[in-house]
Amino acid sequence: MEEIKTTPAQGKRSFFDRFKKNPNKIHESVADKILSVVNIVLLLFGVVITIFPLLNYFSLAFNDGAFNIDVVLFPVQPTFDSFRYIMSGNGAAKFWRAFGNSVFITVIITIGSNLVEAMAAYPLSKKDCPCRSGIMMFFIITMLFSAGIIPIYLLMLSFGLINNLWSIILISISNVTHLLYFKTFFEGIPSDIEEAARLDGAGDLQLFFLIIVPMSLPIIGSCCFFTIVGTWNGYGSALLFIPEAADGEPNMPLAYYIYYFMNKSALDKNDSWLMLNTTNVEAAMMFMSIVPIILMYPYVVRYIKSGLQIGSVKG
Amino acid sequence: MDNNLQLTEAPAAEAAGVPAEATAPPQVTTVRQQTAEQLGFWRDQGKRAKKYWKLLLFIIPAALFTLVFSYIPMLGVLFAFKGPEFDLTKADVMWNLTHGSWTLTNFTHIFSDPSVGKAIANTLIINVIRLFLCFPLSILIAVMLSELKQQWLAKTVLIIITIPNFLSWAIVIGIWSGFLDPDFGILGKITGHIMADPNWFKPLVVFLSAWKGAGWGCILFYSAIMAIDKTYYESATLEGANKLQKMWYLTIPSILPTIALMLVLNISGMMAVGFEQVWTMMKVSSDLFDSQMTLDTYLYNISIIHQEDIPYATALGVANGLIALILMLVGNAITTKTLKRGLW
Repeated sequence: MEEIKTTPAQGKRSFFDRFKKNPNKIHESVADKILSVVNIVLLLFGVVITIFPLLNYFSLAFNDGAFNIDVVLFPVQPTFDSFRYIMSGNGAAKFWRAFGNSVFITVIITIGSNLVEAMAAYPLSKKDCPCRSGIMMFFIITMLFSAGIIPIYLLMLSFGLINNLWSIILISISNVTHLLYFKTFFEGIPSDIEEAARLDGAGDLQLFFLIIVPMSLPIIGSCCFFTIVGTWNGYGSALLFIPEAADGEPNMPLAYYIYYFMNKSALDKNDSWLMLNTTNVEAAMMFMSIVPIILMYPYVVRYIKSGLQIGSVKG
Repeated sequence: MDNNLQLTEAPAAEAAGVPAEATAPPQVTTVRQQTAEQLGFWRDQGKRAKKYWKLLLFIIPAALFTLVFSYIPMLGVLFAFKGPEFDLTKADVMWNLTHGSWTLTNFTHIFSDPSVGKAIANTLIINVIRLFLCFPLSILIAVMLSELKQQWLAKTVLIIITIPNFLSWAIVIGIWSGFLDPDFGILGKITGHIMADPNWFKPLVVFLSAWKGAGWGCILFYSAIMAIDKTYYESATLEGANKLQKMWYLTIPSILPTIALMLVLNISGMMAVGFEQVWTMMKVSSDLFDSQMTLDTYLYNISIIHQEDIPYATALGVANGLIALILMLVGNAITTKTLKRGLW
């Protein structure tokens, strides 16, 4: 639908010509124009609904607790007291402990899970791998049936890993969805490359780590990114293994600690400043917890723009 | 070791087969041929195993984790058959498993427990509303985005509406409880404390799922729409189709396979509502605990929080897992039949 902007050559072009119908152009009907406008307005409404609560809430993090009622989009009484409280004040020890816990489990789960699953996916991506479908079945069954949370809880209990970060790590290593993504991607790598490397005397380990992994960086990056976001934000397994009580506090990942703090059970009722600024401290903690995700956001944008690999694998 | 054995045996059997073929009646030769074929199959497997045994070692770590943390818990089904004397405060898990009586009453109890009926109803109601509102919403957003002429605007809107997907449920619920706070929240000043109102609970669960997930959910559909050949739209325009007609008769039918796949996936997950979301939202007020339990949270509440009746809770979890399994298998059968591809 090329728009031909030139007007018929006869006569001088006047200002009002642009409102006359151009016979060379396929005109959008009025209904279509209205539809376009409605479309843009609705989408912008969606953007506002997304942004407005975020701005409103996070401006509380920079606001004085006594003036929360006046906050609309920006802090009315700007202060960094809430950040000071969680980063160097009375709340700092617990906050940094939770932050460190989150970093610890995220790093171990991201590296461990994706390494283990990529390694398993590599032989399974070979068409003539012995017992291929049997081994795939072994993994896929775990996606289909689970006996629920209690057997897992009891397993961790008998390992003595309740109220221990390792329970969260161990339960998160196995990730069959990522195994399937890796397998599909590896199947697309031409076998000539591997054969050439084999002729040059590369062993299996060398082949995998020096040829296959560098060639699969897009899928490995995407899967790592999803593991990072999932681990950083998730607290389902923490709810299961780490008690929501004072003795569980040292082992709480950040998302779980925020949940715990939100339920007002962690508050020191004698601290009058904290009682006034609870929401602000909460908002400051949440703000700090999304900073790592914000730092990764350029990667997300690139991911959304670059043709959505996971979507194309899945869909 | 087994394979090597077959490799050495196979030629011997063949060598023995050749002279026997000349003298023996024809039935014997067919049996011998079959054996030779089977040996050939095993020899082939053996050859492949020999070629790949080093690579097969790569599977061991993943298989070990799956075995210990997925298959051993499946054996935990046994806990569902333990009698009422199961008590973790008295002895450890293994002792409880090996001692005490076995019973089926845990499963029959499910049908007589009124809380379970309520929990299933709540779960299904929330999921059906989500299926009818959130799921079409994602498709609608994708179609609307694809209608934008300005690519940069579409990309910007897409990036902004996916932001909430990267926040944890604690943060999403924190943000909205701030927004809906009756004292200082902008909306809350008008609406009152609806986060703690049981009547508002289900609509809010659906709304927050949409707020967090709809933007992310639309990416799959959006990329499917972007893959449609643009010349179809040009010819439709020349034929005089307006925008709504193009949407309805061109865009939607083109992405129908993606829609069907996601629909089946959604229906397969019908028995679970996001556990973190519902549990965190329930924590806002104790009123919500009695009336708004879903299956996941009910299970979690009786077993982990109150440590009351672990065999019964296991039975409930197993029943839930079986229903989910049946839904998955049915969904897979549907997609393999209609879309020529399975769910996995």
